[in-house]
Amino acid sequence: MLEPYFQWMNNLAVSRFIGESIWIYPLVQAIHLLFLALFAGALFIVDLRLLGWGIREQPVAKLARDARPWLIAGFLGLVVTGIPQLLQNAMREYFSDFFWMKMTVMPIALIYTFTLRQWVVSMTDRSRVPPVVSKLTGLASILLWIGGVAVPARLIGLFT
Amino acid sequence: MADFFQPLHDLFFWVSEMENSVALRESQYVWPTFEVVHVVFVSLFAGLIVMMDLRLLGIGNMQTPFSQLQQRLFPWQMFGMAGAAATGLILVFGDPMRFYGNIFFWMKMLMMVIAAVNAMAFHYITYFSVESWDNASVPPLGAKLAGALGVGLWSFVIIAGRLIPYNWFQN
Repeated sequence: MLEPYFQWMNNLAVSRFIGESIWIYPLVQAIHLLFLALFAGALFIVDLRLLGWGIREQPVAKLARDARPWLIAGFLGLVVTGIPQLLQNAMREYFSDFFWMKMTVMPIALIYTFTLRQWVVSMTDRSRVPPVVSKLTGLASILLWIGGVAVPARLIGLFT
Repeated sequence: MADFFQPLHDLFFWVSEMENSVALRESQYVWPTFEVVHVVFVSLFAGLIVMMDLRLLGIGNMQTPFSQLQQRLFPWQMFGMAGAAATGLILVFGDPMRFYGNIFFWMKMLMMVIAAVNAMAFHYITYFSVESWDNASVPPLGAKLAGALGVGLWSFVIIAGRLIPYNWFQN
């Protein structure tokens, strides 16, 4: 169904331009990883706290408010450096199960982070939710983003 | 120069001939599994290092006193580093000659040493006076410098690491 669109991306002038350069694609991959680190840091600082570890002296809502701009910046950086990789590899991505897994879990993780997780973060400090709910929320966040997005993303390049 | 590096070359070559090393690089799933786990540990380590460095630079996580951030994140940073180092060592063990002749691999190793020196220098010099700037909205120059160097050096480590498969300077 989407194949024509991927064909179209594959044949864009900019895709060919990236493909012809030996260094653009590797550097984009490397910068993608820098944004991954930023994103993961802003994610873990809150999720570890939800799990009852990390910076326990601080209310989780305070940590989340501080981490939020970096989480968003990291995510936007990942998208901006992800698009050229998709353009350059459009057909390989189209036929990769890991690519579709990543693209399916990512919107779920994104919505989860800014709705359910955000809600639990705001409830945790005043003990309005049982600790086990906070813990499961942090665990689910890590499983979604790392297990459901980052790991399959790395696997696209290793198994296709 | 060639003579100087000969023992290192021989060591890497000797490892590459070991049965387990050959098995690892010829494995279909084991090698890629370690590559994936390596990236996960790196993102834990580097992510929490960046969170600390942003605080040192005075631009992130400013509602938390630095000493709290440092002490609480330190075990997780070390856990990330231990996992990244262990999986990294296994990857080198599995294909030593691929790394021996790779400029990016050695740049990465060198930058890690410099980053460690930066962390130690910060710990024994600037961190000594942490009580006077723990809550300061503008950390002292020494802290900012350590934070900037930390972000820069670890970024370099990650970039060099990602470029290892692209060995443009292979002779």
